[in-house]
Amino acid sequence: MMTASITILVVVFVLLLLANVPISITIGIATLFTMLVSMPAEPAVTQVAQKIATGLDRFALLAIPFFILSGQLMGQGGIARRLINLAKAMIGTLPGGLAYVNIFACMLFGAISGSAVAATSAIGSFMIPEMNKEGYDKNFSASVNAASATTGLLIPPSNILIVYSLASGSVSVAALFIAGYFPGILTGLMLMFVAGIISAAKGYRGAGRVSVIEFIKRFFDSLLSLLLVIIVIGGIIGGIFTATEAAAIAVIYSFLLAVVVYREVKIKDLPNILKNTITTNAVVMFLIGASMALSWVLSYENIPQTISAALISLTDNKIIILLIINVILLVVGTFMDATPAVLIFTPIFLPVVVSLGVDPLHFGILMILNLCIGIVTPPVGAVLFVGCAVADTKITYIIKWLLPFFAAMIVSLMLVTYIPAITMWLPRVLGF
Amino acid sequence: MNRLVEIVDKILIGFLMILMVVMVLDVSWGVITRYVAPKPSAFTEELAAFLMMWIGLLGGAYALRQKAHLGIDILTSRLSPKNQHRWDILIYVMVLLFALLVLIWGGLRLVSIQLYLNQVSAAMKIKMGYVYLVLPLTGMLLAFYSINFILQAIKGANAQLPERTEPLAGLE
Repeated sequence: MMTASITILVVVFVLLLLANVPISITIGIATLFTMLVSMPAEPAVTQVAQKIATGLDRFALLAIPFFILSGQLMGQGGIARRLINLAKAMIGTLPGGLAYVNIFACMLFGAISGSAVAATSAIGSFMIPEMNKEGYDKNFSASVNAASATTGLLIPPSNILIVYSLASGSVSVAALFIAGYFPGILTGLMLMFVAGIISAAKGYRGAGRVSVIEFIKRFFDSLLSLLLVIIVIGGIIGGIFTATEAAAIAVIYSFLLAVVVYREVKIKDLPNILKNTITTNAVVMFLIGASMALSWVLSYENIPQTISAALISLTDNKIIILLIINVILLVVGTFMDATPAVLIFTPIFLPVVVSLGVDPLHFGILMILNLCIGIVTPPVGAVLFVGCAVADTKITYIIKWLLPFFAAMIVSLMLVTYIPAITMWLPRVLGF
Repeated sequence: MNRLVEIVDKILIGFLMILMVVMVLDVSWGVITRYVAPKPSAFTEELAAFLMMWIGLLGGAYALRQKAHLGIDILTSRLSPKNQHRWDILIYVMVLLFALLVLIWGGLRLVSIQLYLNQVSAAMKIKMGYVYLVLPLTGMLLAFYSINFILQAIKGANAQLPERTEPLAGLE
C-alpha cells in the first residue's frame, strides 16, 4: 500500500514536472492521485481543497505579500541608487572597487528587501553600465551582480525564510531572520574575495576618491533607507511586533519614502506595482497551498519516515548525510526555483536531519544557502535570467565567469553546513 | 471570446487590487490599535487571514492568465513552435483537471459541508462556508482561462499577452 502510494506520487510528480505543468498544479494533482490509493474520490478532493484553504488561512503568511510589496516600492523608489552611492564612498576606491560596491550594495539592499530578483535588477541596472564604462568585462559584472544578489535571501528580511518557517512548522521567523545574518555576510565576503582576485588579475580600477564631506552627505542621504532595517529587524528582535506587523510597517514606510520623500514612484505607477505584487504573491501562495496538501499526504502515508529510514540505513554519519542532502539540493536547485524546492523538500529532509541532532534552524539556513547557488546556475534560475537581461548578455557567455563565484558559494555552504556556530551563535546570544 | 477574457481580466484584477489595499490598511490598523486601544481586536487578524486566502487563490487565476506560474521548461523549450502549441493543450488540460476536481468539486463539497455544520469563524462569526466560496470561484476562473488557452493553442495563435517589463518568479 505504502510503496504503491510512493510510486504514484513520484511518477505523477516527475512526469507532470518535466511536462512543464505549473509546479503548484503538479503538486496538487500528484497529491490527489496519491490520496486516491487509500480513499474514495469524493473525500479525497474535499480533503485537498480543505488543506489548500486552511494552508493559506494564516496571519503569519501575510508577511510575504507585504515584503514583496515593500520590495517593489523600494526597487523602483531610488533607494538602490542611494545605497550604491554609500557603498561607493566606503569601499569604491579599492582596486576592483566597483565589484566590491556591487556586492556590498546587494547586501545592503538585501537587508531592506527580501528578494534577490529585485536586488539583481535594482542594483545591476545602475552598477553594470558603470562597470562597463570603467572597462570591466560585462560578463564579469553580470556574474558578480547575480551571485551577490542571492545574499539577500539570507540577510533578513527574507521571504524565503518565512516560507521555510512555515514548511518546517516549528522554527520561528524571528529566529531565522537573526540566524541568516552571519551566513549571508560570510557568503558576501567570499564573493568579494574572488572578485578581488579576478579584478587584480585583470587590472580593474576603482572609483574616484570621495571627500569626507561627500561621504557624510551620502551617509545621511541613505540613512532613511537604512533606518528601515532598524525598525523592522529591531522591532522583531525586541518583540515589539511580529514579522507580519513589521512587514506591514515596511510597506507603509517604503511607500512614504518612495512616493512622498524621494518622489521617485508616482501615484500612476502604483497599479502596476500592485499587479506585480499580486501575481508574485499568488504564485507563491498557490505553491504553499498545494504543498500543505502534499505534506499532509506525505505524513499520512509515513513517507518522510520511510525515506529517513532508507537514508539512515545507508549511513548514520551526520557529515555524510548532510553531504548527500546538499548534493541532492544542489542538483534540484539547478532546475527548480528555491520556493517550491523549500516547500517540497523540507518535510522530507527535516525529519532525517533532526533525528541526527541537527537543529531545524541550522538546517533551514544551510538549505536556503544551498538553493541560493541553484538560482544562479543554468539551466533554470530566476536571478540568472534577470542578471543576464540587466547586463544584456547571454547565459552561455557568463557561465565561465560564474564558475569561481560558484566555488566561493560552495565553500561558504560547506562552512555553514559543518560549523553550526556560524548560524547558531547570534540567535543563541540573543536568546532564541 | 477575446473580449470576454478582457472583461474578466479587468474585473478580477480590479477586485484583487481593492482586496490588497484593504489588507494593508487592515493590518496597519491592527498594529496601531494594539498600542492605542486597551483591548486589541481579533477582528483585524482574522479578516487579514481571510483576505490573504482570497488574494492568494484568486490571484493564482490571474497569475495563470499572465503565464506567471513557475514550471520547468527544459524539455518543452526544445520543441518546435508548432509542437509547443500542441504541448500547451496538454498543460492546460492538466490545469483544467485540477480546477474541476479539486477546486470546483472538492471546493463546493467543502462549502456545503461547512454550511451544513453551520461553522462560523472565531472572531467575526462569518459562516466559513462563505469564506471557502473562494475555492470554487478560483476553480471557475482557472477553468475559464485554461479553456481559453486551449482554444488559442488549437488555433496555434500566440497568446495576446501584454509584455511584462519585470520578470516574475517565486520569492527569489
